[in-house]
Amino acid sequence: MADKSEDKEEMGPGSERPESAEDTENGRLKAELSREHELYLRTLADFDNYRRRVERERASSAQAGKRELVLPLLEVLADFDRALEHLGDAPEWMSSGFVAIYRRLNSILQAQGIVPYESLGDTFDPERHDAIGLMESHDVEPGTVVAELSRGYRWGDEVLRPARVRVAQ
Amino acid sequence: MLETRRRRLVGIDLFQCALASHSTADGTGKQGHVMAKAIGIDLGTTNSVVAVMEGGKPTVIINSDGGRLTPSVVAYTKTGERLVGQLAKRQAAINPEQTIYSAKRFVGRRYSEVQSEIKNVPYRVAAGPNDAVRFEIGGKQIAPEEISASVLRKLADDASKYIGEKVTDAIITVPAYFNDAQRQATKDAGKIAGLKVLRIINEPTAAALAYGLDKKKNETIMVFDLGGGTFDVSILDVGDGVFEVKATSGDTHLGGDDFDKRIVDWLAQEFLRDQGIELRKDRQSLQRLTEAAEKAKIELSSVIETSISLPFITADAAGPKHLEAKLARAKFDQLTADLVERCVGPVKQALQDAKLSERDIDEIVLVGGSTRTPAVQALVRRLIAGKEPNQSVNPDEVVAIGAAIQAGVLAGEVKDVVLLDVTPLSLGVETLGGVMTKLVERNTTIPVRRSEVFSTVEENQTAVDIHVLQGERELARDNRTLGNFRLEGIRPAQRGLPQIEVSFDIDTNGILKVTASDKDTGKVQEITISGSTQLSRDEIDRMVSDAQGHAEEDRRRHEEIAARNAANSVAYQAERQMTELDGSVPPNEKARAEQLIADIQQLTKSESSDVARLRQLASDLQQLVSGLASAPHDPTAAGGRPGTTPGGDDVIDAEFRPSK
Repeated sequence: MADKSEDKEEMGPGSERPESAEDTENGRLKAELSREHELYLRTLADFDNYRRRVERERASSAQAGKRELVLPLLEVLADFDRALEHLGDAPEWMSSGFVAIYRRLNSILQAQGIVPYESLGDTFDPERHDAIGLMESHDVEPGTVVAELSRGYRWGDEVLRPARVRVAQ
Repeated sequence: MLETRRRRLVGIDLFQCALASHSTADGTGKQGHVMAKAIGIDLGTTNSVVAVMEGGKPTVIINSDGGRLTPSVVAYTKTGERLVGQLAKRQAAINPEQTIYSAKRFVGRRYSEVQSEIKNVPYRVAAGPNDAVRFEIGGKQIAPEEISASVLRKLADDASKYIGEKVTDAIITVPAYFNDAQRQATKDAGKIAGLKVLRIINEPTAAALAYGLDKKKNETIMVFDLGGGTFDVSILDVGDGVFEVKATSGDTHLGGDDFDKRIVDWLAQEFLRDQGIELRKDRQSLQRLTEAAEKAKIELSSVIETSISLPFITADAAGPKHLEAKLARAKFDQLTADLVERCVGPVKQALQDAKLSERDIDEIVLVGGSTRTPAVQALVRRLIAGKEPNQSVNPDEVVAIGAAIQAGVLAGEVKDVVLLDVTPLSLGVETLGGVMTKLVERNTTIPVRRSEVFSTVEENQTAVDIHVLQGERELARDNRTLGNFRLEGIRPAQRGLPQIEVSFDIDTNGILKVTASDKDTGKVQEITISGSTQLSRDEIDRMVSDAQGHAEEDRRRHEEIAARNAANSVAYQAERQMTELDGSVPPNEKARAEQLIADIQQLTKSESSDVARLRQLASDLQQLVSGLASAPHDPTAAGGRPGTTPGGDDVIDAEFRPSK
């Protein structure tokens, strides 16, 4: 309604002629038409953007589905890593078998393009590292990763799971 | 008008937020000009969520880290970088003094008011000009508004990227108890972020909007919001699209994190008792415990027992130790009973402040991830007996969704968008064997037009009856009849040859027009269905759940009919073939075929449910016939739906029942 009164003002001094009912109706319809047209264009634009995104997401949604399965598996791999540290005491047949299972699991993930990355000695980077805490260290620059508590994994260009690390104080 | 539709969204032009109205928009009368996309932002204490209207529907935006929740955390690194969200959170442990979280607890408040909050955070909080709160970071003073602005900026940027269009306008939500200063500070944060804040609205109001409760007349709504670290209960009055906050109460330090901590403490104490090692002293063990606890809590919302397994959690001289535990929901409830009980006081307080009793509450809305906890839901049901809480919208996202809906209204987008109506129930016609063939599935967005070609199933059938149905059951007789009409004057032809196109056309007003046309003669008959049958929400729900309840039985009956139809079809074809090959069929095979045909007809006529026997007979007959000389042509291949046959006189035996 506010718009209409503004329109009238814009018509200026030349618009002395009293408005007929038809003119009013005409103006109202024009305003309504332009509003509807705007909404129509908006919906078209929405749909266009939506379609483009769906196309973009189609590829990544397969990946998202895999991610749901892979992320918990990475936790299991971290358990393996922890177990390996203690394997020294185990009999040879057991430790070598254990390592073989670990390698198989890793190679399955690698076949999917999921690869672990090293963090030790790198400068802390929140894109790739999740800090668990600080550690006293005299040998390295502050901010350097001095302990890796669980390994980081990359999936293509993307960091699938950041490494859990301790950082030099 | 036929109630073939249901309003999904709300036209909220009238809506205004009573409490926020004194601190509202810079200008909303911008309809008719180029309209920018507006987003809705739930700026939370722990996490934030952003949503946008897209094609008239609210969509939660995935942030650049791939998540739907963005931690409300901002960090200033030693290298002078500013990190927001997940990245800031990841470095919090090594940079605690320059990582600001829970800024919302400080925004718009005086330094003298926040002494108890300061004790809970590791970063330094100082007094700025006029007793304002400032964070001290690297010798510089930073206002809480600036922290909130960084979070808002990231959310807006992620939104721009997601929808492929620059975002400039936003609606931001705040707790209902926020005072003028806190609202103004939140609005300023938006400005600092370069956003035009269309309006600041209350979180409970946004949640109610997400459920379309602004359409209610004179109702009282309770919003129960148990988030990660805060609990808020609000009582709202709604009428004529205006929400008024009657009372708010809560506990600023109660939330999901407390529930997690109870599990952590229990696990750690059990471990200490059995193994003599305190796990909470080691940061890594504590982190693993906390993650496992949260996971267990989430699982216990859907199962009654979960197991927690943390191998190699620690080690002592004797070697590595593993943590293995089972946590039953009953035990979890016991561990957290006092936390749940702490929700009671605020609920009673809010009712008392609003001068209402629990019987006055018409609607309950659940907000916050912790309301998924069964014990919390049970508490809500206990406190407000007899009312089923609204919880179909994700409780983590419901506030942002409501804000986005309101943003859509202010941007002129959600305005009688008829496209958003859907058919609440399936629509179709009755076909061979009394089955309902659906043309328009339930929840199809209208306007819509669907058509399908059917045929006759009797020789020289000259008319078809179109029986228009609505419902979810397999059989026509279990569904609702919307109308009947007859298309006559079909040229006598072999069964299966005539092509009758039936189309369903539902316009934006939900008015259904069913048209049947004979492609051969061009004869058309139609019916417009409007007016007679208004279905209430309850009726629709009943019909849908009825169908679900009968799904198995319906499937069996449908199978029976399909088997009967298929057997009949085989028998019909065999009969035709025998006639066409007359004389060339060896007498013993002819006799055998005739016997099989007679058996099938006998079985189908008696509406036998011996599906296995029917299938066997049909298969035997099929084999026998295909062994004979090749048949001239298959009449059902002419455009009709396959698997159709005539049957006895009493059986509903046409794609459409022939008129007699």
